[in-house]
Formats: sequence, structure tokens, C-alpha cells
Amino acid sequence: MFRYTEEELLQLKPEVDVPVNFDIDSFRAIIDKVKEIQGLQEEEYQQFHRRRSSHHHGRPKIKHTKPKITTDSDGWSTFENTVARRKSNAAGNGSEEDLPVKEQPVIAQETLKVKPNKNITSTKPADARDIVTDKAVNNFNAFAALESDEEDE
Amino acid sequence: MSVEEVTQKTGDLNIDEKSTVLSSEKEFQLKHPLNTKWTLWYTKPPVDKSESWSDLLRPVTSFETVEEFWAIHNAIPKPRYLPLKSDYHLFRNDIRPEWEDPTNAQGGKWTHQFWGKTPDIDDLWMRALLAVIGETIDEDDSEINGVVINIRKSAYKIAIWTKSADNKEALTRIGSKFKTVLKLGDDAQLEFLPHSTASEKHPQPSLVL
Repeated sequence: MFRYTEEELLQLKPEVDVPVNFDIDSFRAIIDKVKEIQGLQEEEYQQFHRRRSSHHHGRPKIKHTKPKITTDSDGWSTFENTVARRKSNAAGNGSEEDLPVKEQPVIAQETLKVKPNKNITSTKPADARDIVTDKAVNNFNAFAALESDEEDE
Repeated sequence: MSVEEVTQKTGDLNIDEKSTVLSSEKEFQLKHPLNTKWTLWYTKPPVDKSESWSDLLRPVTSFETVEEFWAIHNAIPKPRYLPLKSDYHLFRNDIRPEWEDPTNAQGGKWTHQFWGKTPDIDDLWMRALLAVIGETIDEDDSEINGVVINIRKSAYKIAIWTKSADNKEALTRIGSKFKTVLKLGDDAQLEFLPHSTASEKHPQPSLVL
């Protein structure tokens, strides 16, 4: 039975490197190669697959485009539709020349005008024209009712 | 016996021509034999999904003397230089460093994880190797199969593999010495995990020191 304490084994440690019984250069080359590949994989991961840092809590900012509103001298505000319509079809080729010629539907080009109602909380009508609209068109005439056609029969 | 006779007999001995260990350069290089042959294994980290475990685990070399051990230990890269997911395994004779090997199947391992950078990991690994090949960690000479170091991103792990998992008295003696070899304080835990629980998701140690 051979036993050696740590101190005894350390005393037998050579001062200089001694040749080994296997191809140490190939072994070192494998390890260097693996380290090189791992380094490249880590670099790629950092570049393309890194998650958003948890340091920045909250949702990402999304920029919403505000509709453009123009107000004329009378106080009328007008929305302007600046969103361009997409021209691509379901297949995604976007070529209108390939589509059969169809008559384009006529879309009324109207501009909605909204006037702010400053008197919304008052009893006064917001627009003077509404007074005419609300006025009763047919008044009840009792004499006319007495002379109805039913009695003549 | 007369002086002449003594002189004649002394001359017949011919001391100057007799070869000794000191006079022979070959014999002078005495080697210190180890108790058994030891084999160094290396687990190469996978760099391709097609690589299987059997492709990655390979024997590097074997040695039977102290001098051969030092030659190999000085030549191979130290644990701190190894790429992540590498393992060194030093196992007795031809035991494969796997649970499935018949010599390991009924055994287990004393293991400790060194979290963080652990600047002295090379020294701790060398101390573990010397304790195993010098046969000073096991008084009964019947339990130790091998020693392993795992290189991982968050921790280094050093473990001693034993033949049995139920010899509590012998295992406790080995664990206590292993704890000293690894310079672990009272606050550090050394756990014994039977290989039979190795496939469990969260195996519980059967012994803790």
C-alpha cells in the first residue's frame, strides 16, 4: 500500500516541466478552439439576442401621431386626414397594374366641420338656426277640427 | 587469514566495476509508484448541437507514479483557464466517470459548490487531487472512485465519488477530511448525494457536513 501525504507529494514536484505521455499540444488546441467559439457565440448573443435590461422598468414609449387640426378665422376646426392608404394587395406585391380594371367607387370628399359650443351648459340654443327648427310647424286649430269631414258623412 | 589473502579476496570483489543505482543513469531516475493507476478524463463543452455526451467525454491520459502525475498536472491547463461547461475527472483504473459504470452505480458523491470567482480554485483542485492519489483521504482504501471538477458560469463544483452510498460511518470520515482539504469553514456545507437520486430534479443530500 503506497500512501503519500500532501507535503510528500509536493516535495516530489519537479522544478521544470517534464514531457508527458500524450499529445499535449492537441489537447491545448482543442481547449483554445472551444474558448474561441464560446467567445464568438457570446458576442453574437450580446449583439442579437440580448433582452431589454430589467433596469428600465415600464413600457416602451410608443409615439402616436396626433391628427392635424386647423382652425379658421371663424373658429371652425377642421381635421386633416394625412394617413396615406396602402396600395398593396393581400399577396403583398402591391402592383395595381396586374389587377383587373374596376370602376373606382365614388367617395364623397367631405370635410366635417365642428364648431365648439360655448353655451353647452346654458339653456340658450347653441346655434340661432336651431330656434327655427324647434318651432312647431302645425298648430292645433279647434275650429278646423269641428268642421271635420266625418260629420259631413 | 593473512594480509595477502585478504588483499587478494578484496581485489576479487572488484568494487569499482560493480554497477549500482547511483552509477546507472537509467536506474537513478527512481519513480514513486501510486497505489493504483489513475486516468484523467476531460469533458469538452458542446459547441455543436449534434455532439452527444459520448462525443464530449474522452480519456486524456493515464499515470501510475507521482512523477507522471506532476508531469501531466504541470502541462494541462488549470481549471481557471478552462472554457465554461468543461469538466476534469480523475478516476481509478478504468472506471468511467459516469453513474452507469458498475463501480459507481451503488455509490454517490461528496460535493461542494464554490460560488463566484474563487481565485484559489486551482490550488483547491490540486489539493483534492493530491489527497486522492496519495490515498490519505480514505483510511480504509475501499471507497474512493474518483474526483471531479465542473467549470460553470456561476460556480466551480468539486466532488469526490465513492463506491457506496450507505456506509455512513466511512462516508462521514471521508467527508470530514474532504472538507479540510477544500479549506471549508464551519459555515460552508458539504453534501453527499447518492447517484440513485441524480436523475431527480431537486435531489436531496443524504448526508450534510
